[in-house]
Amino acid sequence: MNLNVEIKRYNPEEDEEPHWESYEVPADPLDSALSLLLHVKWHEDGTLSFRKSCAHGICGSDAMQINGENKLACSVLVQDIADGEGDTVTFAPLPSAPVIKDLVIDQSRFFEKYRDVKPWLITDGPAPEREREQSPEEHAMIEEASKCIMCGACTHACPSTWADPDYLGPAAMLKAYRYTFDTRDDGAEERLDVVDSPDGLWKCYTIFNCNEACPKDIDITRWLSALKRRAATSQASTNA
Amino acid sequence: MAASKSNALNWFLHRITGTFLIFMLITHFWVQHYDHQVASVTHEVVTEKGQMPEYPEAAKEGVKARFGPDAEVTPYQVVMQRLADPVYAVLWKGFNILFLIVALHHGFYGLNNVMTDYIRNPMGRLVARSLSWTVALGLFIIGLYSVITAGW
Repeated sequence: MNLNVEIKRYNPEEDEEPHWESYEVPADPLDSALSLLLHVKWHEDGTLSFRKSCAHGICGSDAMQINGENKLACSVLVQDIADGEGDTVTFAPLPSAPVIKDLVIDQSRFFEKYRDVKPWLITDGPAPEREREQSPEEHAMIEEASKCIMCGACTHACPSTWADPDYLGPAAMLKAYRYTFDTRDDGAEERLDVVDSPDGLWKCYTIFNCNEACPKDIDITRWLSALKRRAATSQASTNA
Repeated sequence: MAASKSNALNWFLHRITGTFLIFMLITHFWVQHYDHQVASVTHEVVTEKGQMPEYPEAAKEGVKARFGPDAEVTPYQVVMQRLADPVYAVLWKGFNILFLIVALHHGFYGLNNVMTDYIRNPMGRLVARSLSWTVALGLFIIGLYSVITAGW
């Protein structure tokens, strides 16, 4: 079948504002959405820019807005975004982030927030001779959160991020959860200092857009709620 | 009180007040708008006046025209008598004051969240927060005065 693919284009050297361009693209229902973009780039317009790397839902490079929803282009099938011949499929960059060109956003702010929550193991004592042990039950608490591939679909789907670009956002705070609840980690207080702030946890209003957007089906809101309870408990014990 | 930069306490109270509001709103609506039989006013207060207070006929007709022939209303006097009742007044005044505190905190914490979503300048945030909590305090004082003096 042939699809009408509309892409939000923007070249800062030529365009004052982003604009939509349409392309007719042949597609199989079992193609990925990414293949539509590759067809445009290879056969229609080589100047089209977008990020992609592994194309298998691991690297998280090709998060973008497809038919108005934040998704990974490589993890979405044509049959899930188009009903048949002549249907329109739209591609736009992730909302609320500065656009560098076409579908490529500036991720520097996103990764600044990521680094702010200290997403690494913080330990007090000396390193053990062998690995740091963790029981399956202890690991189960952080297993789902560990699946995050930092694609940014959640953070850029969050209305709190749209309203306040300084808001840490679900991706960074999910990382904070992942390390704070890691039983091998001793840096909870340092991280809670970061997330328990005016631009942190309390701007999560459990809207659930992050859950909808996550290509790994992580129940982000659930884990952020656990982090909120931990922060509130920590505050209460500090002030007791 | 939590440290000033933390909103943990307010977030926790928002959860608590939200839960309270579900039950308090239902109770409030039932007692204020549907309890026309004045079950929450003691017999002495009703009989002291000789008869049940009534809305003017025109008001009752208006309610029936809008909500059907079986619709009944809670007269203003019943509400006031409840707040003057020797047995129930303290209960309902206490309920209303708690309802006032819970609703104001819940509403104004929500309003503060919305404001700080869109006001990113620290001084602007401080001004907006100070103004909103001042308005909340003003409304609390007015509400408190109204509830305490009503019927007494």
